[in-house]
Amino acid sequence: MLILPHTAFSAWVECQVRTWGQRLSWIWILLLGVIVLNVIMRYLFAEGRIEFEEIQWHLYSFGFLFGLSFAYVSDSHIRVDVVREKLSPDTRAWVELYGILLLLLPFILLVLVSAIPFVQYSWANSEVSQAPGGLPLRWLVKGLLPLSFLLLLIVTLARLSRVMAFLFGFPAGIDDGSASPTEPLSQQEPPP
Amino acid sequence: RDGAEQAVRPVDEAAVVASIHWRIPVAFGTNLPALGDNILYVADSLKAATAERISLQVFEPGMLIPVFSITEGVRDRKIEAGYTWLGYDAGKIPATPLVSAVPFGMEPWEFTAWYYEGGGRALTDELYAPHNVQPILCGIIGPETAGWFRKPIDSLEDFQGLKIRFAGLGGIVLQELGASVTMIPGGEIFQALEKGAIDATEFSLPVVDQQLGFDRVAKFNYFPGWHQTFTAAHLVVNRDVWQALPDQDRALIDMACTAGVIRNLSKGEALQGAVMAGFAAKGVSPRKFPLPILRELKKVTDKVLDEEARKDPAFARIRASQQAFLETYQNWKSHAYLPRDF
Amino acid sequence: MSAGDVLSVLMFVSFIVLIFTGFPVAWVLGGLAVIFTAIGIIARVDFNLPVFVNWDYSTLVADRIWDVMNNWVLVALPMFVFMGLMLDRSGIAQRLMTNFARLFGGVRGGMAVTVALIGILLAASTGIIGASVVLLALLGLPQMQALGYKPELAAGTVCAVGTLGILIPPSIMLVLMADRLAMPVGDLFLGALFPGLLLGSLFVCFILGYAWLVPEVAPVPANRQPVNRAVLADLGSAILPPALLIFAVLGSIFFGVATPTEAAGVGAFGATVLAWMNRQLDGEVFAQVLAETTRTTAYIFAIFIGATAYSLVLRGLGGDELIASLLKGLPFGPTGIVVAILFFTFLLGFFLDWIEISLIILPLVGPVVIELGFNIVWFTVLFAVCLQTSFLTPPVGFAIFYLKGVAPAGMTVGTIYRGVVPFILLQVLGLTLVFLIPEIVTWLPAQAYGSQ
Ligand code: NA
Ligand code: NA
Repeated sequence: MLILPHTAFSAWVECQVRTWGQRLSWIWILLLGVIVLNVIMRYLFAEGRIEFEEIQWHLYSFGFLFGLSFAYVSDSHIRVDVVREKLSPDTRAWVELYGILLLLLPFILLVLVSAIPFVQYSWANSEVSQAPGGLPLRWLVKGLLPLSFLLLLIVTLARLSRVMAFLFGFPAGIDDGSASPTEPLSQQEPPP
Repeated sequence: RDGAEQAVRPVDEAAVVASIHWRIPVAFGTNLPALGDNILYVADSLKAATAERISLQVFEPGMLIPVFSITEGVRDRKIEAGYTWLGYDAGKIPATPLVSAVPFGMEPWEFTAWYYEGGGRALTDELYAPHNVQPILCGIIGPETAGWFRKPIDSLEDFQGLKIRFAGLGGIVLQELGASVTMIPGGEIFQALEKGAIDATEFSLPVVDQQLGFDRVAKFNYFPGWHQTFTAAHLVVNRDVWQALPDQDRALIDMACTAGVIRNLSKGEALQGAVMAGFAAKGVSPRKFPLPILRELKKVTDKVLDEEARKDPAFARIRASQQAFLETYQNWKSHAYLPRDF
Repeated sequence: MSAGDVLSVLMFVSFIVLIFTGFPVAWVLGGLAVIFTAIGIIARVDFNLPVFVNWDYSTLVADRIWDVMNNWVLVALPMFVFMGLMLDRSGIAQRLMTNFARLFGGVRGGMAVTVALIGILLAASTGIIGASVVLLALLGLPQMQALGYKPELAAGTVCAVGTLGILIPPSIMLVLMADRLAMPVGDLFLGALFPGLLLGSLFVCFILGYAWLVPEVAPVPANRQPVNRAVLADLGSAILPPALLIFAVLGSIFFGVATPTEAAGVGAFGATVLAWMNRQLDGEVFAQVLAETTRTTAYIFAIFIGATAYSLVLRGLGGDELIASLLKGLPFGPTGIVVAILFFTFLLGFFLDWIEISLIILPLVGPVVIELGFNIVWFTVLFAVCLQTSFLTPPVGFAIFYLKGVAPAGMTVGTIYRGVVPFILLQVLGLTLVFLIPEIVTWLPAQAYGSQ
């Protein structure tokens, strides 16, 4: 098991993401409510609304996009651990370092570079839904994509600072004690 | 003089040799007769005419780029060109329904007359120029069916509370008439219709709808296709790419598309009769909306189109052009053709 | 081989190698998209090779993620995840499973069979594998673990049964296939029903047989009471509410109240009401369920997002054409061709996911198979079973990855890899049966629609 030290930066970022992730998770209740309401209205009152259908995927997009960072902070993204479980903490940290630098950060940058003009174009044309009675302000929901990846960039940098603190002692790790609990890099417990 | 000609020649030859290989994402599967397979005809004829120098590699819907994003991908030159239905851009360019499919719109040949001879082409180019896209009319089909219904529609009241999947301006018209319009995803239509989660759906030509199996689950197939009297498809090319092409290549592509238009119309018209003849055996009855319903639909459509024109100057401009063309054309149309019901 | 072919193979191999470093699968997929775009550009610019990817092309990734965002069908995923978590964290699932265990207590493997049966019911309400695997894992894994089941058997059961959702209608995979082949989706839905049930029965038989032969893999509860009237009454009160919930989900689809997507929301709502009625819904449980829903949904979608970037670039390099040309080169007679296509698809399934395979191969082989005179519904269902298997086959089995995300501590990907092996063999057996007895597929559509 590998426990990464926190840095001042990572402790603050991860604490914020955890708090806000928890709060924004109420979006699923909202989604559930909209679905049930739409079903009832359409079935009982023959009053289906396209706005409600669109709100559903707006909410869901919001939930899963910002969830990417929330899941990253708790290290919930799926890893194939067949070989990994045999690796030493040091090796794991190196994998993490190279993975972030060569795979994750470039991917985040690709999405950001792609998404910003994508949103700009929508904004410049005041894009609306093309469905009859669909929602306006399409750029707003498209904007969720770069915003959520910006957040993912920040939490990735926070994680990078922790990996560097572990490997090189720079930036300096902090003794964060109970204020911000250290998350194990892997969720696994050591074998009993 | 001779010297000047010789100086020009080699340049032209160099331009001719450059081959064109475009990846063409399409909005409709090429396995859908008339609706989707026309681009294959266009690609094949270009290939044959240029000995494979111009090759369009067709990519099925969603393989490269989501269907609704084709024009946008072309604009940013993520891909050089695509084959799509311009109405998908209505969210950003509200006037696009007028040049792709419009309720109570023109007959297919009226549309091509307006497009090629009545200023339609220039207006379409102008509509897309700010988006850095060159649209080229490349296919057209006749009216679609007015939808598949689980129960008959005898009067306007039957639209009240009717749960129907319906896209575009026609959907707004039905909403005005009290229908509960939904845009459930294409993949869920069949089951929703079979189980009764929706009462009716609109989709495409009978030959396409039959492949999707709507005739199994909804027995009332309504006509005429008031909401889509023609459906036009365009080859959209990035404007920079288009303008950098040598004249002869632009001419070749334009010719292939113009041929595509008449071939597409011919195929669409040729296929439907046999399909509809087969419906009776499956217990499907093709029906026509009674005239009073059509009149009311037309009235509401005019209101909706006026409202769109009020909101968007380009919409107003194109609509005015089409109306002016039709007014003149009517002099001919109303006299020249045989009445066929005598 | 062209330069693009070489790069495609390289991209493929890199993926397999890199996921074993233990870096998250989603980011390996996404990162490789960037790296191979760069390599493609270098190959063209510096070495003048005919490779078509460039940065503009790869920025299509935004449009493709947008396609995931506005995909209404996928809204069902967080809703089913929420439903599973709510049933689990509120204790309803545990109570349900414990009572089932009392009912089937005398039967070795009874708990795994229960999970399988619930999985089959669940398959009829969702076609999204991530949703069913997570839901079944939450319902069944802790209980099987508590009884001392062999982790491999528990994991294999959840994974295998979880994948049935994409075969038993409604199924987004069948919809996509019908679309690709321009055939009525109703035929496919009905055609896939019996093969799906057949596979489910094979799983159940295997679990029972295995537990009977090797009792320690699936121990019976130690403190088992005899089944009497009092136990049955208890059972009723524990089983009835969740059973009603499952039937509410199924019923809302079958009676035309809701689309399958909306049915997921109805199920999530129902689970919340149940938890509330059982007085097991306090603020803490609620907060836990919600946060966990976000995390679980996010790790599944991270893979979707990474995979869409990866496949964009792979396609740009010409990976599709490479696979197609391999397939076209197969030298066999008619039946041989069908067998070869299925075998090839099965092999591809070890590494690629179903969307890629359906998009690449199906349009290619469909017309060939029709021309050879085979029943296309039968063939497509066989193809679908092959692809369903691809979710299970290591190293790239998405059902395995989804299960890993919610599996209890100590259950590694290696455990799951071992656990799915017998079920993969059962899939092959099922596939063979359907191949030899086409009526399993063709009978039902013929009865219902009078076609073929
Ligand atoms: Na299903
Ligand atoms: Na696999």
